[in-house]
Amino acid sequence: MRPPRSLALRLGLAAGLWVAAGLGAASWFVTGIALRQVEAAFDARHEGLLDAAVAATALDAAGRIVVARAPAGADFERPFSGAYWQVTASDGAVATSRSLWDQALAPASAGHAGVLLRDTPGPRGERLRLAERDVMLPGAAAPAHVAVALSRGATEAEIARLRTVLLAAFAVLGIGLVGGVVATVVAGLAPLRRIRRALAEVRAGTRERLALDAPSELAPLVSEVDALIAGNRATVERARTHVGNLAHALKTPLAVLRNALEGGAPDVAAARAQAAALERLVHHHLARARTAARVAASAAPTVAPLAVAEEVASALRRLLGERGIVIAVAGDAAARLRVDPQDLTEMLGNLMENACKWARRRVEVSVAMADGVVVIGVGDDGPGLAAEQREAALRRGTRLDEAIPGTGLGLAIVADLAEIHGGVLELGPSAAGGLAATLRLPVLARGADG
Amino acid sequence: MRVLVVEDHAALAGQLVAALAEAGFVADHAADGEEGHFLGDTEPYDAVVLDLGLPRLDGASVLRRWRAAGRDMPVLILTARDGWSEKVAGLNAGADDYLTKPFAMPELVARIQALVRRAHGRSRPEIALGRLLVDTAGQRVTLDGQAVRLTGLEYRLLSYLALRAGQVVSKTELTEHLYAQDFDRDSNTLEVMVGRLRRKLGDGAIETLRGQGYRLVAPS
Repeated sequence: MRPPRSLALRLGLAAGLWVAAGLGAASWFVTGIALRQVEAAFDARHEGLLDAAVAATALDAAGRIVVARAPAGADFERPFSGAYWQVTASDGAVATSRSLWDQALAPASAGHAGVLLRDTPGPRGERLRLAERDVMLPGAAAPAHVAVALSRGATEAEIARLRTVLLAAFAVLGIGLVGGVVATVVAGLAPLRRIRRALAEVRAGTRERLALDAPSELAPLVSEVDALIAGNRATVERARTHVGNLAHALKTPLAVLRNALEGGAPDVAAARAQAAALERLVHHHLARARTAARVAASAAPTVAPLAVAEEVASALRRLLGERGIVIAVAGDAAARLRVDPQDLTEMLGNLMENACKWARRRVEVSVAMADGVVVIGVGDDGPGLAAEQREAALRRGTRLDEAIPGTGLGLAIVADLAEIHGGVLELGPSAAGGLAATLRLPVLARGADG
Repeated sequence: MRVLVVEDHAALAGQLVAALAEAGFVADHAADGEEGHFLGDTEPYDAVVLDLGLPRLDGASVLRRWRAAGRDMPVLILTARDGWSEKVAGLNAGADDYLTKPFAMPELVARIQALVRRAHGRSRPEIALGRLLVDTAGQRVTLDGQAVRLTGLEYRLLSYLALRAGQVVSKTELTEHLYAQDFDRDSNTLEVMVGRLRRKLGDGAIETLRGQGYRLVAPS
């Protein structure tokens, strides 16, 4: 069965079930104890009457039973009142209360010790409580039997009244408890309603951010939502900056292009060069914009860098089939990165294509993971780069607004992407004498603040 | 050489077909993925230019279906997006090369020529057969260093035979690879053309094998 959609209803129902079960058990227990108490009180009074009857009983000189003083109470005098006594001598002679009239009680068989209490039908079929015992009367040879019977009607009326009172009390208590729970839940969910209203205001634009003083359980939610809002705002801000940068970067080549085309003899070569520069700029900014938006907008899924490297390698092998370059991919298959797979493909594609471009025979790709950093190495056996050339290749494109994309654009894009993901691209000499590019990416890429 | 161009952008497709025709190819055009898939599946193309963003059936799916059906002609994919993800996806779907839009037309033609050569196991654009030299990149033919003047159709016939030099090429195969899909094929035309080529290249160059076809050898 599906739980109801409303939290308040859900909590109210659960509390109601628990309260009902708990109160049911408690009322059963309490009622049991109270009823036993009532019965015990009646029985105690009963035994008192029996003792009085025993005390009043004696034998006269002839050995006949004489009940000198009948037990107090008009009930024993009124016929069939429900209160009776009866004394049976050892020789079978019987003395009874007036109320018993011509009837007799059925005594228990003799021989039991102490007082015997039991329920028995009376002379008119009414339910009686009977107390009886054997008594050794002074001067008698054998014990006499004394019995006092009282109607159960009064006891039962008392028990019924008690039951009704207890049941009513527990019902009132239960309703009160459930009501209290429902009220608590409704009051407890009030902060959620407040957050919802605040979010609606943020969406409507009348509020900057939530900034609510929420209870400690909800405070993390509020601060996460505020962080998300701030992240989105930063993304928009970045996009605006980026568009500005792009427009500025495009202005120079456009101006040159215009100059080249104006005047009597258009300089076609210069125009062509500027068109190429424009294209590179667009390419560069597109790559960066795509990534920045992705990084800011969402939590990236985990990807296996080794699998991505192998995919890129298989694509490159198709592309470079006839050049006979071996692309060897090896490393930690269990390594995982939280990076957009497209970005990782972009970085590895650029690095590995660059390596293939310069390699003589072999490109080595390695993947390793240590201390929360995934290290991806791409090395070739080509001519390599001198230290100052390596620096230049990395410097290019790092300052977005002043970048002039050149021939080393591939590496610059990788360096940009690595930086956006909180990582770094390093260049150095490879063991085979060529260039070794080392990409270090944190396992958990930087979030919206990157 | 027949090339299939699968491109939905009409202007670009027109430029592609024109540039390929100028380079000595016969180009057929399909404007959507389904038509492109059908043509590539039924006609013997020497190369395909395949746009990835196509209506009705995307380029990568078209390519995967061809490869799954054993169609192994070289395919160059065109992508509007310059990301590596698309390149990798396209290449791993079975493409042999890729170009990112915008591209320069001579670059595309050179890539197609290279793909066709590669498919015939040749890495250099010049095919030398003794005194005869066929330059498939520059569409030039020389005999003893002297340029031979050929019509477009004659050049197409010679270059196809040159790529398959030493092998017997049937008349059916020749007509299939020399004319566009809707061309009225007539084997007499082919014989007339072979005759004209023989006059220009000398008798020994093109051998006729009765009932089998033609073979290009080094002229004596």
